[in-house]
Amino acid sequence: MRRPAATALVALLSLAAQFACSATAASERVEPNEWLSRMSVAVQQTSYEGTVIRMRDGKAEALKVVHTVADGVIREKVVAQEGDGLEIIRNGNEVHCILPDRKSVLVEEWSDQSTLFSTLPSSEVRFGSEYDVAIVREERVAGRRAILVAIRPHDEYRYGHRIWLDLETAFPLQTQLIGTDGSPIEQVKFADISLNKTIDPAMLAPSVDIASFRWIDQPTRHVSHKIDSDWQAQQLPRGFRPVATHGEKLPGSDEITTHIVYSDGLANVSVFIASADDAGSAGASSVGGSNSYSAVIDGHRVTAVGEVPAMTVEQIATTMMLR
Amino acid sequence: MNEAIRTQISAFVDGELPDSEADLLLRRMSQDAELRRAAAEFLELGRAIRGETSVPGIEVLRARIAAALDHKAHAAEAVAPDAPSGKALRPLLGIAVAASVALVALFGLQLTPGVGTGGPVEENVADVAPDPGYTVPRQVDEQLRQYYLSHGASSSELGANGMNARLVTLRLSEETLVEEEDEEEPVTDEQATDETPAQP
Repeated sequence: MRRPAATALVALLSLAAQFACSATAASERVEPNEWLSRMSVAVQQTSYEGTVIRMRDGKAEALKVVHTVADGVIREKVVAQEGDGLEIIRNGNEVHCILPDRKSVLVEEWSDQSTLFSTLPSSEVRFGSEYDVAIVREERVAGRRAILVAIRPHDEYRYGHRIWLDLETAFPLQTQLIGTDGSPIEQVKFADISLNKTIDPAMLAPSVDIASFRWIDQPTRHVSHKIDSDWQAQQLPRGFRPVATHGEKLPGSDEITTHIVYSDGLANVSVFIASADDAGSAGASSVGGSNSYSAVIDGHRVTAVGEVPAMTVEQIATTMMLR
Repeated sequence: MNEAIRTQISAFVDGELPDSEADLLLRRMSQDAELRRAAAEFLELGRAIRGETSVPGIEVLRARIAAALDHKAHAAEAVAPDAPSGKALRPLLGIAVAASVALVALFGLQLTPGVGTGGPVEENVADVAPDPGYTVPRQVDEQLRQYYLSHGASSSELGANGMNARLVTLRLSEETLVEEEDEEEPVTDEQATDETPAQP
């Protein structure tokens, strides 16, 4: 009489073992770039709710996040859990930044489709030969099984990335920007997350009554048009190439600024060229993992900005020349 | 301009004016070109006294302060009784921010009276002749802020590094709002009636 029970138990254990193995095997079979492609799809299509910890400049802050996509329209709400209680609510391209303690709402337009947690390029060709992409191991993040994918640069002109992807959905549960010394510069990690859950529209509404708040329009970020430019970098770090050139009229300036974007397929560096009498910072500056360097060349102020090491923006900025 | 004001400006430039008085003076400066010119003269005088023949970036900085304050004065005037209702009550936010950053930079100069050697310099690659000068605080000024924002938008449009670029943009947006708020001045009763909170 005990035999059927024993058989069932063995079968159950066998099934469980097979299931566990299949998940691991799945992660092993899939190429790293395939994981990144899946990730790109996941961040565009996945609805989620959770708590994100953002670490940068020696500080950590928690953000409550709700995100959903319906009919191609991104709706998102991010609420800072510390400090001023900043809330950012996105409905399509319109973004409201709410500061409850100041009773103000800053209104912005985000013309692109990226989200707060969209991450890296989707296509493996973007990585060129300047990075290695590898699956490192499986770990648990936010209570979920995740696969760690590492993007390692070949030289010190660019940062590396570590991305923990949900094993089931390929959604990025944790990302790190890795400096040239191998330590994280910036990190975004979900402490808890619910994936593909139905988002109640009420969850995307402001948490506070903003009826009496002041509304402030952020000036148009930029108006740009494609142009040909005689400017080019004489000593681009290996792998970087120009991918876009625009003329832009930035808020607060009447002149058209030339904006050239260089990319190695993963990291982007923008070079802005304005007249030298247009007031601006000189030398190096940084915001988190983003660096900038400004120099005056041939009567123009040349400023390079990018999520790359300081030496990269400096080299690009200081070697820009008119053809 | 009476002597008391000149003394106040002198103290302000030297970083010796109490915050409450400095705030008041800044408001007056925002409305009075003569006071701004006086402040500029004191800055120039301070340079001469300290034997600084060249202070990298100071001319640019001063021009920015003057321009930003001019714009701010115009912005204040622009809030007229027939100001549009709705959410666009503060169309010159960027300019207000420029003023804020410029003033922060000005205070920074006040707080760094020593002559530094390692400070950032305005570098002309073709003609590098860095003079010793102030250690100008490394602020992400308004123009640079716009560059970061534009870079973030471009990066996102290209589909690359969206997260990092966006987070930088987010942080800058936060700072924008905070700085704009910090720059806010008490409004007159007349202005207050024109700034009835509204939403779209």
